[in-house]
Amino acid sequence: KTYSQSVTLKASHISLYEVFNNISRQTGYEFVYDAQLVKRTAPVNIDVKQATIADVLKNCLSGNPTLTYTIVDKTIVISARALPKASHGAPAATITGKVVDAQGAALIGVAVQVKGTTRGILTNDQGEFSIQANAGDILVFSYLGYDAQSVTVGEATSLTITLQQSNKQLDAVVVTALGVKRTEKSITYATQQVGGEELTKAKDANLINTLNGKVAGLSISTSSSGVGGSAKVILRGSKSGLGSNQALYVIDGVPMNNTVTNQPSSIYGGSNSYDGGDPISNLNPDDIESVSFLKGASAAALYGSQGANGVIIITTKSGRSGKTAVNLSSGFMLSSVAMKPKFQNEYGAVGTNSQSWGDKFSGGGHDNLDDFFRTGYNWTNSISLSGGNEKMQTYFSYANTSANSIEPTNKLGRNNINFKETGHFLNDKLTAIADVNYVTQEIDNTPLAGNYFNPLTGLYLFPRGGNLKQYKDQFELPDPSRNYLNVQNWPFDEDIQQNPWWILHRNTNSLTRNRFLGNASLKYDVSSWLNITARGSIDRVADKYEQKIYAGTLKVLAPSTGVYNMNDQTSTQQYGDLLANFNVPISKDFKLTGVLGASLLDTKIDGYKLGSTGADSLRYPNIFTVQNMTAIDPSSSGNLPENHVQTQSVFASANLSFKDWLFLDLTGRQDWSSALAYTQNNHYFYPSAGLNVILSQLLKLPQAITFGKVRGSYAVVGNAPLAYQSHAAENTLTSGGIRVNTSAPFDNLKPEKTKSLEVGTEWRFFDSRLDVDVTYYKTNTTNQTMQISASQASFYDNYFINAGNIQNQGIEATVKFDVIRSKAFSWNTAFNFSTNNNKIISLSPQVDRFTISGASGANYASYFKKGGSYGDIYGVGLAKDAQGRIQFDTSGTPQLTSGDMIKIGNSNTKWQLGWNNNLSFKNFNLSFLIDGKFGGDVLSITQSLMDSYGVTPATASARDAGGVKVNGVNIVTGEAVTMANAQKWYSTIGGRQGASSQYMYSATTVRLREAAFGYTVPIEHSFVKALKVAATGRNLLYFYKKAPFDPEMTMSTGNGLSGIDVFMLPSTRSYGLSVNATF
Amino acid sequence: CTKNFERYNSDNTGLTDDQLSGDFNNLSYLKSAQRSIYNFSGGGDPNSYQVQQNLNADCFSGYFMSPTVFNGGQNNLNYFMVTGWNGEAFKVGYLNVMAQVAKLRSTGLETNFPAIWAIAQITQVEAMSRVTDIYGPIPYSKAGQSKTDIAYDSQEEIYKRFFLELDSASNNLRSFIASGQKIPVDSTKYDAVYGGNLTQWLHFANSLRLRLAIHILYADAAMAKEQGQKALDPANGGVITTNSDNFQLLTSDAGLTNPLVFISQNWGDIRINAAIQSYMTGYKDPRISRYMNTSTDATVGAVYKGIRIGGVTASNQKSDYQGYSQLSTSTFNINAPVVLMTAAEVYFLRAEAALNGWSNTGGDAKTLYETGITTSMLQWNASSGAYLTDNTSVPAAYTDPKNSANNLPSPSTITIQWNDAASTEEKQERIITQKWIAMFPEGQEAWTEFRRTRYPRLFPVKNNLSGGLINTDIQIRRLPYPQQEYNTNGAQLQNGISLLGGADNGGTRLWWDKKP
Repeated sequence: KTYSQSVTLKASHISLYEVFNNISRQTGYEFVYDAQLVKRTAPVNIDVKQATIADVLKNCLSGNPTLTYTIVDKTIVISARALPKASHGAPAATITGKVVDAQGAALIGVAVQVKGTTRGILTNDQGEFSIQANAGDILVFSYLGYDAQSVTVGEATSLTITLQQSNKQLDAVVVTALGVKRTEKSITYATQQVGGEELTKAKDANLINTLNGKVAGLSISTSSSGVGGSAKVILRGSKSGLGSNQALYVIDGVPMNNTVTNQPSSIYGGSNSYDGGDPISNLNPDDIESVSFLKGASAAALYGSQGANGVIIITTKSGRSGKTAVNLSSGFMLSSVAMKPKFQNEYGAVGTNSQSWGDKFSGGGHDNLDDFFRTGYNWTNSISLSGGNEKMQTYFSYANTSANSIEPTNKLGRNNINFKETGHFLNDKLTAIADVNYVTQEIDNTPLAGNYFNPLTGLYLFPRGGNLKQYKDQFELPDPSRNYLNVQNWPFDEDIQQNPWWILHRNTNSLTRNRFLGNASLKYDVSSWLNITARGSIDRVADKYEQKIYAGTLKVLAPSTGVYNMNDQTSTQQYGDLLANFNVPISKDFKLTGVLGASLLDTKIDGYKLGSTGADSLRYPNIFTVQNMTAIDPSSSGNLPENHVQTQSVFASANLSFKDWLFLDLTGRQDWSSALAYTQNNHYFYPSAGLNVILSQLLKLPQAITFGKVRGSYAVVGNAPLAYQSHAAENTLTSGGIRVNTSAPFDNLKPEKTKSLEVGTEWRFFDSRLDVDVTYYKTNTTNQTMQISASQASFYDNYFINAGNIQNQGIEATVKFDVIRSKAFSWNTAFNFSTNNNKIISLSPQVDRFTISGASGANYASYFKKGGSYGDIYGVGLAKDAQGRIQFDTSGTPQLTSGDMIKIGNSNTKWQLGWNNNLSFKNFNLSFLIDGKFGGDVLSITQSLMDSYGVTPATASARDAGGVKVNGVNIVTGEAVTMANAQKWYSTIGGRQGASSQYMYSATTVRLREAAFGYTVPIEHSFVKALKVAATGRNLLYFYKKAPFDPEMTMSTGNGLSGIDVFMLPSTRSYGLSVNATF
Repeated sequence: CTKNFERYNSDNTGLTDDQLSGDFNNLSYLKSAQRSIYNFSGGGDPNSYQVQQNLNADCFSGYFMSPTVFNGGQNNLNYFMVTGWNGEAFKVGYLNVMAQVAKLRSTGLETNFPAIWAIAQITQVEAMSRVTDIYGPIPYSKAGQSKTDIAYDSQEEIYKRFFLELDSASNNLRSFIASGQKIPVDSTKYDAVYGGNLTQWLHFANSLRLRLAIHILYADAAMAKEQGQKALDPANGGVITTNSDNFQLLTSDAGLTNPLVFISQNWGDIRINAAIQSYMTGYKDPRISRYMNTSTDATVGAVYKGIRIGGVTASNQKSDYQGYSQLSTSTFNINAPVVLMTAAEVYFLRAEAALNGWSNTGGDAKTLYETGITTSMLQWNASSGAYLTDNTSVPAAYTDPKNSANNLPSPSTITIQWNDAASTEEKQERIITQKWIAMFPEGQEAWTEFRRTRYPRLFPVKNNLSGGLINTDIQIRRLPYPQQEYNTNGAQLQNGISLLGGADNGGTRLWWDKKP
């Protein structure tokens, strides 16, 4: 290796970090410095040709009174400059004081100098200083990254100085694939970074929900499964019909186990479709330093198939050398129902009928919902400790979350422990990091969406005018015929409803999760241009689910002695990789950096499931033990399929830069996947390329333009199929005996392929006060693995094909603007905008549709067909004649379309806009986020059923008006029909088999999603270093919403049931207080 | 290193064909096929059977009616055909029966154990004849030969194929029985009906041939006669004559239950139909207490009371009719065997054959008719008393104590005692009416015979929500094809519909549905 002493560098507004990087690249010298020291430095302008290292360092450190350097061998050590102590001159007074930042936090190491003298000192760990000065002397306070301040010494001998952060933006460093850090400007694809504070401003039991509306191109749908439920997180639109569309999470460079728990697959929901929360929801938001989003396939090309849907990279906090910092944070949020369905209060039921199609009653009715819903809360408390020395740094945290849902008995308790240790060995050439997380979580009574086991069906459909209170007070009654065993007290015997409180207390479920997540890495600096990193992680999620259905439950749902279901499932992901990072200056102008590596990812789910079904499932009622099961049904019990998938990969990336204004990225990766075993080819290769031009460095741009960049990239990413698709079991065991598998084997299976093209440009104006980033992307996903229904006469129920071309294209834009940045008052605002247009370009010559969801006994299905798009909702409409008149039979019943279902809408948002604001005035800080999702339609089966039961206001006003005005025709007589009987009309168009087309609503919603008002308590000379209190709120206000439920909520985070509401738990509005203290 | 990939990508809960072949366990495909004819192979949850047969044929045949307000009171039971229900019989026929039989064949059964192969063929004919009798033309000769584009056969072709398959099966059985050999495999591995008794299988094969021959009497009288006489020819081994030969499936294996009983007792989703109650009450039939309980509804009183088909509407709730007569809890326990063909039915088939002048009926119509009744009485452990000579009792009028709009006069004047002087038509009504009573609770065959002969005279549906597609008096003739066929096999399905010769709805008659 050769070392060069000459450096050529021309850049304006470049960070010290980058300068060091450049020097290192050009010379082979290595830098050693405390990242914290350099982090707050202001950018510099530099223009040197063939200069020595010393010159360059002098040049760029000259403005920094606190940094100095020494060169030892081939290592440049950047350290804090020791200022000379005051020595002679014997000034009159001792001035003491404290230097803080705008938020009131103490600033450590601020240089305090008496102007014109050599007297100076650095502030201590508490930000305090003490210096000898005469009245009239000028004290200069300077600190990297902050505007210097001068104070003339007057009579006061104690000063508090507030330094304002310098407004010059630093050139950010972005964490990219495999944990490689790169400067933002060299990146050839769109990224967006969010600081950890955005996760903790107004906490949610699932941290990912707090990012909703903050990132362009990110769509988050919250599950309706109560506290701790999972979320559907999609970057740039859904691409795969059968595979996952959810983004990949990467924690500190290692992919996270993101096994999704059970989700309902039909409108009935049912006992086993519980949602136990996705793995991301288990994390403690206080442990997270920052989150960055690599939205496109290019960004993710190095992650391989897992990254085809984009990547969310999470960087966790580490210990810091220096004085131990203790942080306590506590937040308490209350939540209430944001919107309730509307009811009529005029007409009751006839006799003991369950439907409200009877006579008018007097007395105005009763709000049964008030007797049911409660105020929920989410209380989180966390403590973190950070400290260490230059060789070892430690981070420890513990967090406790306790949450109650608005649905009684649904609650969550979670404990997170995190311990992270960083050590430097062998002259700092070897760095070892170990990070251990343990999470315990218990969720009780996850609401089961859908028609079955859902308390909301009975609650909403109960005859109007009736008071449910009696069924709340006595949800069970002793049954003399069963020797006074308590059984359900409910007047109706209908499969979709039970006593709501019976469900809460006697159809209970609980999910206990124990999760271990451990990461370890070793990095060895072989030379200044090469380091080798080895990493390993294990992420083990052990879930135990229990459901206890008591005797006295509706007979169609459970036998007379009750049902006990349990499921013990462990999902283990092991990851290991070996990387060589290199950094080679090829010539003066060309630099090459890159990675060579290999990885192994092994994911396995196993466990067992026990369920009692059949005539007499439990021997003795209400004894929920395995011993008490009379028969275990082998078709639904026993060990779970192992679902074992292993991917082995080799990959390489090269990043070539020319004169720091042209960057070329090339990556290639080859995957071998076990899911492709039994096919002709078990491996696949995919490349990506990107190009980047920094216009502001290449051209002489007007003064107002601080930075300009255009970028473009193209990538192909493969996506391996799911386990067993290529090799379905030949036979299965059921209680009836051996059964031939009805899914055809797929031995010519190929991996899905996503081709992605994106171009973007990024501009900063007026000293980076205005920042604009625009991206256009287009992805085409082909070779889709589709499970196609077969004609059952083929002896298969379904088979797989590779086909189709699903295209997503859209535009993403972010605009950030510092509207006001004065010392006392600042306001910065940011917009993020995105559109996504999904189109099925082609499907398959063999089939005309692919079914995502749809079940028997439903008036809803989700298909995609050629020319349609992902998320199309199909349903039943009203039969009309050629003139568009609704057809009625002679009894006055409207006729519905028969045969194939018709398209009635699409659930996808067409475009979304988020507007995030931060205002601060002195010690006060206000932030709020308004976001809108525009376009798309959603279907409410809830309204459809409520209409058919006659409980909605529409059914009452129709009865008041003597019927429903229609433009109809009698199909027998041909006579016009102008008025339809209200009951006939709503019983037919509503209900489970009604005209779903009549229950489509616009999904457009504009809301005040998040607001926080904080105050930083000014603190002096206390063991408390900082204290901040804030009032926060989430989902506070809907500015626009037409649907009867929150269209953002989803029954399932899977691919199906998108935009379908079947008695989902209502969305909530929450507000509360948070306190954050640092010691 | 990818050497473990195949192991990782193998479902540990499944079984390979190899793993199954030991101990002849792969023969158990036959058992699961048998258990799917009337599907109870799904274990404890009889939902498949409920839509395969119970909410269709069992009710259309006049045996049962549901008190449950399915789909808001709009469902098959008032001719509002529920798409999600109509495909189950089709699905079970192919996936649970034919696919298993095809798998058996692929094990080399045809050459290794021709006698067991014969049982498999008979099982398939028994199962698939029920499927074609529901829909009409279905894929049969080309079934299982490709993943897509599977041709439909006309019902006539399918019946011809059934007869050929029965020929092959009977020949195999006869020659194996004649050889005096024994099958060296424990019969509990493969036979849930006759425990490997091949003579009983031969009797059933001939009885099934007779049943199918009678089905096509009005469509192809010559073929009906040819096949009927072949079935009855003593040289071919004979038909079922005693109750010990009844075709019944045992539900005694772990986890299996009689799905009809389950639906009745556990779900309360099925009750006795007004028709069977009205006939049996009118006839003072001694079997009535074996068939049904008296009502537990206080409004009705402790009498036998069925529900009129279509009489449960949107304005009802389940409890309104749940207290009406249910399937007898003393005769039927949760593990009661599923009986699909009885000796009594065969006597009535022979009686009709005699009425048509076929040879080898082994008696005249009167004798066979009366033996049919007495055999049935024996089967139900009831005493005939003066039943055979009752020439005055007629079916009772029906009254619904909860809704007089459901009331109807007696559906028929037919009496019990045989009358040689009666017209052929009246004789047929008498035979079919008694056959119908005897076949309870097997609604699939009863519905087929009702459609073929229009007997017994059943109460018309109370509310007809078919939108004019199904005639209330003629009653429902078939089920529409499954939605999945439209989605996956559309072009061939259209051929099937043209073979059907009418629109794909419940009002179109099948090929054999041609009674003048």
